[in-house]
Amino acid sequence: MSEFDRYWRAVDEELAAVPAGPVLTQVPARSTVDFTAYDVHLTSIGPYRIFGFLSIPTGDGPFPAVLETPRYGSVNQPPHYRDRLRYLTFTVMHRGQRLADVPFQAGYPGLATLGIEDPLSYVYRGIVADCLRGAEFLRSRQEIDPARTAVTGDDLALLTAARRPGFAAMRSSGPPEVEEEIADRLRAYPEHTDRIQHTRSLFDPDRHAESITAATLRVGRDLELTHRDAEDDAVLDTWLAGQLGVAPMSKFGLVPR
Amino acid sequence: MTVTATRDPATAVITVPRPPDFDEFWARTLDGLPEPDAALAYLPTLSTDAVAVFDLRYTSYQDVEIAAWYAVPRGDGRAFPGLVTIPGYISEPSVPRYWAELGYATLSVAPRGKLRSNAVFNPGYPGLLTHNIVDHHTYGYRGFYADVIRALDVLAARPEVDAQRIGVQGSSQGGGLGIVSAALRPDLVRCFAAGAPYLCGIWASTRLTHSYPYEEITEYLRVHPEQAEEIQRSLAYYDGMNFAPLVRAPSYVYIGLEDDVCPPETGFAVFGELGGDKVLDTYAGCAHHAGLPWVQPKIEAFLAGHLTPEAVR
Repeated sequence: MSEFDRYWRAVDEELAAVPAGPVLTQVPARSTVDFTAYDVHLTSIGPYRIFGFLSIPTGDGPFPAVLETPRYGSVNQPPHYRDRLRYLTFTVMHRGQRLADVPFQAGYPGLATLGIEDPLSYVYRGIVADCLRGAEFLRSRQEIDPARTAVTGDDLALLTAARRPGFAAMRSSGPPEVEEEIADRLRAYPEHTDRIQHTRSLFDPDRHAESITAATLRVGRDLELTHRDAEDDAVLDTWLAGQLGVAPMSKFGLVPR
Repeated sequence: MTVTATRDPATAVITVPRPPDFDEFWARTLDGLPEPDAALAYLPTLSTDAVAVFDLRYTSYQDVEIAAWYAVPRGDGRAFPGLVTIPGYISEPSVPRYWAELGYATLSVAPRGKLRSNAVFNPGYPGLLTHNIVDHHTYGYRGFYADVIRALDVLAARPEVDAQRIGVQGSSQGGGLGIVSAALRPDLVRCFAAGAPYLCGIWASTRLTHSYPYEEITEYLRVHPEQAEEIQRSLAYYDGMNFAPLVRAPSYVYIGLEDDVCPPETGFAVFGELGGDKVLDTYAGCAHHAGLPWVQPKIEAFLAGHLTPEAVR
C-alpha cells in the first residue's frame, strides 16, 4: 500500500473510532412552511466538536440532498434559501471556523499553512475528516434519496467525494486562494520546501480525483468562468439541479413576497 | 413565500426616512472616541523587500481594541498616500501588500467582531446584522462604524502618511462603509471606491432578496414580527442612503445588475443620493462581484488619479 493510501486509510479508521454524537437543535428563525432548519453539533477526529447547518424540506420525501463543504474563510453562511427549497442541505463548519471555533480559532491568513511541515500535524488532515463526518451525517438521514446526493465546495468537495463514494454529483469551484500564504511560508522557511511539498502532495486534488465515481463539474477544468457571476451561477446551479432532478432557480429572481 | 419578479432596478424608488437627530447621533458617537493611538508590531514573515507589514492595534468606541493589517511601501522617508480598505460582511481583512506595492500606506481594518477584534464584542455570523437591532443606541454596527472612522484617524496621524491624500476602498460592506467614511470624515477622505454597496436601502433589501446577510433580518422578523417598526427606525440611523447626501469627496461606484446580495435597486438609489463628483459603472450578467475583474483596473486608476501614489514594485 502506498503512503498516500496509508495516510487516508488512517484518517478513515480514526474517524470510524470516534462516535459522531449528533445533537440537533431546531431553529425557528431559519424555518418556514417550506423547510425546517436545525443547528447540528457533531464530533470529528481529535476529538473535536464541529458544527453544521441542516435544512430539511417539508413533506414526505425522499429528498435530493446536498452537502456544502466549507469555504476558505472564517465564516460560512447558512445554505441559500433557493437550495433549502429544493434540497435537504447540510453545510459543515470545519474546526476553527465560526461556530466550531472552541477551543481552536483558525487564523486568516495562517490556516492554510498550519502544521504543513508534517502530514500528521497538518490542520487539513482534521479538516478533511470534518467534511467526511459531514458526509456521513448527511447520508445517515432517513429523509434523503440516496441516489440523489451531491457535494459542493472547493477542493474539499472533491476530496470528500473521493473518500466517500456514493455521491451522484460533485461540483468543485477549484482550489482555495491560498498560494500567497504558501509562498510566504516557503520564503520564510525555504529549508522546509520539500516537506511542505510532500504534505501538499497527499492533498493533491488531481490525485484524489481518480477515485471519484460521481458525475463531476470542476471549475477551471470542465468549466471556465466568464466572471459574469450571475451568469456563472446560473450555469453551476443548472448543472447541479440537472444531476439531482430538480428545476434550476435564480437567486436574483427569488424575491420575498 | 416567494415570487419570481421582473425588475427594473434603475427606476426603483427607495426612500429611507432621515431621523431628525441623525447628525447629532453620529456627532455624539464620534465625540466619544478616545484619542487616536496605534501600537505596531512588525511582521517579518508577511513583509517583503518592497513592503513592510505590521500588526496595528488601536482603541476605538467604548475602549474596544481593534486590529488591522498595515502595509507600508519601503521608501526613502517621503510621505505616502494613505488607503483604508474595509472588509465585506463575512470576509476577514486581507493583508494589503498589493495596495502597498502600488504606493499606498494601507490600513486593512478588522472592525469589532472580526477575527483579532472579537475578544470583547463577538456577535458572530449570522449575528452581527441583527445584534441589538431594535435599539439604534446599542446596535452592533454603531461601534463597527466607529471603528472604521477611527481607522481613518489613525492612518492620518501616521508620520509616513500624507494626510491630504487618503482614500477608502472596499466592496459590499466595504462599499457601504466607504460612503459612511466620506460622510463622517469629509476633511480626511479625498476619494473612495465603493462596490456593490451594502447597508444602503437596508429595509427595502429585505423585500428584494433572500440572500444573506439581509436574510438575517428576515429571519429575525420571523421570531420577532412585532419589532418591525422599531427595527426600521433603528436602521435609518445606519443606512447609507442617509449618509450619502453628506458626501463631498469624489466617488467611483460599481454594481452588478443581477446582484442578489445587495440588490442593484439600492445601488442606483444610493448613487443618486451621493454628493460630490461621482461615477457609476454597471455590469450586466454580474451579481455581487460587481464586474470583477474588469473593474479592478478602473478602481486603481480612479484612486491613483486622486492620490498620486508611486508604485514600489
